[in-house]
Amino acid sequence: MTSGTLPLVAARGIVKRFFGALALDAASFDLRRGEIHALIGENGAGKSTFIKILAGVYQADGGDILLDGNAVDPAVNMLPLAFVHQDLALVDDLSVGENIALIAGYPRKRGLIDWSAVMRQVAPLYATMNVEAPDPERLVVTLSLSEKAILGIVRSLAGKPRALVLDEPTAALPEADAQRLFEAIRRLRDAGTSIIYVSHRLNELFGLADRVTVFRDGRHVHTTDIADTNAEQLIAQMLGRPLSGVEIARRDTARQPAVLRVDELVVGGRGPLSFHACPGEVLGLVGLRGGGQEAAGRAIFGALAADAGRIVLDDRELPRTDDIGARIRAGIVLLAGDRMRESTFPGMTLAENLIPNPLIASGSLWRPRATADERRTVHARLEQFDVRPRNPASLIDWLSGGNQQKVCLARWLEARARVVILEEPTAGVDIGAKLSIHQMLRKAAAAGAAVIVVSSDLEEVAAVCDRALVIDRGRVAAEIAGDALTMDTLIARSSLGEHGTPAHDSAFSNRT
Amino acid sequence: MNSTRENGIEPGNVTQHAVPRRPASAGRRVADLLANYGLIFVFALVLVVFSAVRPDTFLSSGNIGNLLTSQSVTALLAFAVMLPLATGRFDLSVGYHVGMAQVLAIGFQVNNGLSWPVAALLVVAIGAGVGVVNGMLVTRFKIDSFIATMGMGSLLYGVSNWYTGGQQIAGFNLPDGFSNLSQVLGYVPLPALYVAGVAIVLWIVLERLPVGRSLYVIGSNARAAELSGLRTGRYISGAFAASGLLCGVAGVLLGSILRSGTPSVGAEYLLPAFAGSLLGATSIRPGRVNVGGTLLAILILAFSFSGVQQLGAPFYVEYFFNGGILIVAVALSVYAAIRRRKAAVKAVG
Repeated sequence: MTSGTLPLVAARGIVKRFFGALALDAASFDLRRGEIHALIGENGAGKSTFIKILAGVYQADGGDILLDGNAVDPAVNMLPLAFVHQDLALVDDLSVGENIALIAGYPRKRGLIDWSAVMRQVAPLYATMNVEAPDPERLVVTLSLSEKAILGIVRSLAGKPRALVLDEPTAALPEADAQRLFEAIRRLRDAGTSIIYVSHRLNELFGLADRVTVFRDGRHVHTTDIADTNAEQLIAQMLGRPLSGVEIARRDTARQPAVLRVDELVVGGRGPLSFHACPGEVLGLVGLRGGGQEAAGRAIFGALAADAGRIVLDDRELPRTDDIGARIRAGIVLLAGDRMRESTFPGMTLAENLIPNPLIASGSLWRPRATADERRTVHARLEQFDVRPRNPASLIDWLSGGNQQKVCLARWLEARARVVILEEPTAGVDIGAKLSIHQMLRKAAAAGAAVIVVSSDLEEVAAVCDRALVIDRGRVAAEIAGDALTMDTLIARSSLGEHGTPAHDSAFSNRT
Repeated sequence: MNSTRENGIEPGNVTQHAVPRRPASAGRRVADLLANYGLIFVFALVLVVFSAVRPDTFLSSGNIGNLLTSQSVTALLAFAVMLPLATGRFDLSVGYHVGMAQVLAIGFQVNNGLSWPVAALLVVAIGAGVGVVNGMLVTRFKIDSFIATMGMGSLLYGVSNWYTGGQQIAGFNLPDGFSNLSQVLGYVPLPALYVAGVAIVLWIVLERLPVGRSLYVIGSNARAAELSGLRTGRYISGAFAASGLLCGVAGVLLGSILRSGTPSVGAEYLLPAFAGSLLGATSIRPGRVNVGGTLLAILILAFSFSGVQQLGAPFYVEYFFNGGILIVAVALSVYAAIRRRKAAVKAVG
């Protein structure tokens, strides 16, 4: 591709502020005709803000956007771009044809929907991507993950866009499905459609993209042909400094006997996953979105059924049932990441939120609760976990996010569990609460529990964990412990996925 | 930090950190008091106003006795809908259910020659069975409770009409023991005592037993309850079974009051039962259905309707009354929830 050709879309010096904070600081980007252009950067680098400006969702505070060399305002006139988001927004219970018609429109005959025309418009759309069309009457729920991802792209082609924006399309895909999707995307490019490809997985870019652009802190850092760079360089550009000593620690750093052993665990078709956790340690499970670390935690807790594998607690294998109550009594607890939907009991008091299931602590369903005992317990816990207001009868709804989270933590950390699994323990809480929650985790570990933190906040994992496992597609891709456990290492390892290490970048820099 | 009420519960243990940033004003205290005990004030108001307007008849023991007897069935059914409501589920079958139970209670004696205790026990057992089926439809087959119990109601209505051929069963020779179930002892109608007994049991279950905590917790957030180790399906099924059992009891009582089995009776109890339970949720324990609130709500509905009747209102006013109260009750509780949330946001922010 010659640099003399006019880009399809060019963005020059785009500025966007949110309440005074710069989200984009003179960012530039250009998209050539018929190229796959990867856009990468850390969370908060400005990628999604930039995409939303192209989509006309946000209006830029400064800068120009050129379409075929002419200045346009996407907020007024939509660019000929189609956007495919990670969650695809397909309707599972409708047919392929109808899912396409939701976007492409329903052909009509005398005012009524012409169903045969609805089904007829499926095949030509798939043909533009050079992919064999499924039966248009098939329900989307019966499609495989890659077929769904392709359908999501296909139906965005109905408006005959000149470029596509794909946002982490492979986040939830197993490896084989991801390869099928890449094949379809390459064919689309070869047919002349330009593609902006947003991803956190650096490895996959090397077989797919033509060029790559790195954003950092709202600025354009670097654009290059993918052939002229490697993973290490890209990571350094994303971080803004060279990687500091990536060293992958060997396994079995902990000398104590493990309290929890997970053996060849397969959940939702992904795995196998094997690891152990020791009493007194805080173990981090990290990975990209959809990497399988959450599913693993939930399977250990019994909230998700495992397909295969063994979970051993204190040398006793747990049955592969989904009875959560039995797991809690056995000594495994889990604090769910979605506080509103899965942790708090709205409209209920702090006391009730602390002890939603009085049976765990003691007793039978029909024996009156010892209200005085309960009151003492509740007071002690509110004090110990520094919940404000420290008032057992206050409704949980009235507390700040951080205090709500402390109540939920107190519910499980005080249950004397052997294994405590916490999903995103500090999501959406202020920095003060975050620090005290971290202290609580350390304290729980010091008291002898194995604390497992499933978090996408790598800074948190680096700060609070003794050891971290990077999970990719349901497997341990790397184990990081000791001095090596820094945010840099975590970012590097989770971007690289299972096979890559910066030392062997030749393995993935050759293009297919 | 809207904590006047909360501090009232256990002032001794509230540490200095729990002191509200902004002391609650006198107006706020009154507002909170009204929110919690509003129905008591309303009840008192109803009694005062109507006894002033109709001093001879309104508070006469005859009128009160009649009211308590006739409302006992409504009260039992309000408790019956309250239990599934605590878990966030509807039981719309209670109206037709009490109708069928009443028909069977009479029919088993008249047609099948069963002694009254056997007939009564059988009806209560059938009631519990119907409740178990409701629970299974909702938990095992995952049918929305609204739909499942609505369908069940129609099935039960079909059963009543099938059993009776659509005709009333006359209860000429009912034993005294059965009729005496609804007699007045001195000044106190027996049905009122049954209601009081059921109320005490339910209060203990909901407020003092782990099982009650579990029911409310499931109603608040079923997913979080599951993740707390509660087998939500069992509790929900249990709530429906208890609801069915109460319908059976109410049916026996209704049979004893009416002394005949009429298949068309029953449906008209559904709405007052929900009105009572939902209006009750605005008071005592605002925001959730509760025993005390439900009882108060039933009393208010009964006494104020009786008062209006004594002022000469025609019979159809009852329907306006029940429908209006239902809507107002739900509107009030929604409004109260918004108000409390606003106050909370203000206190936090």
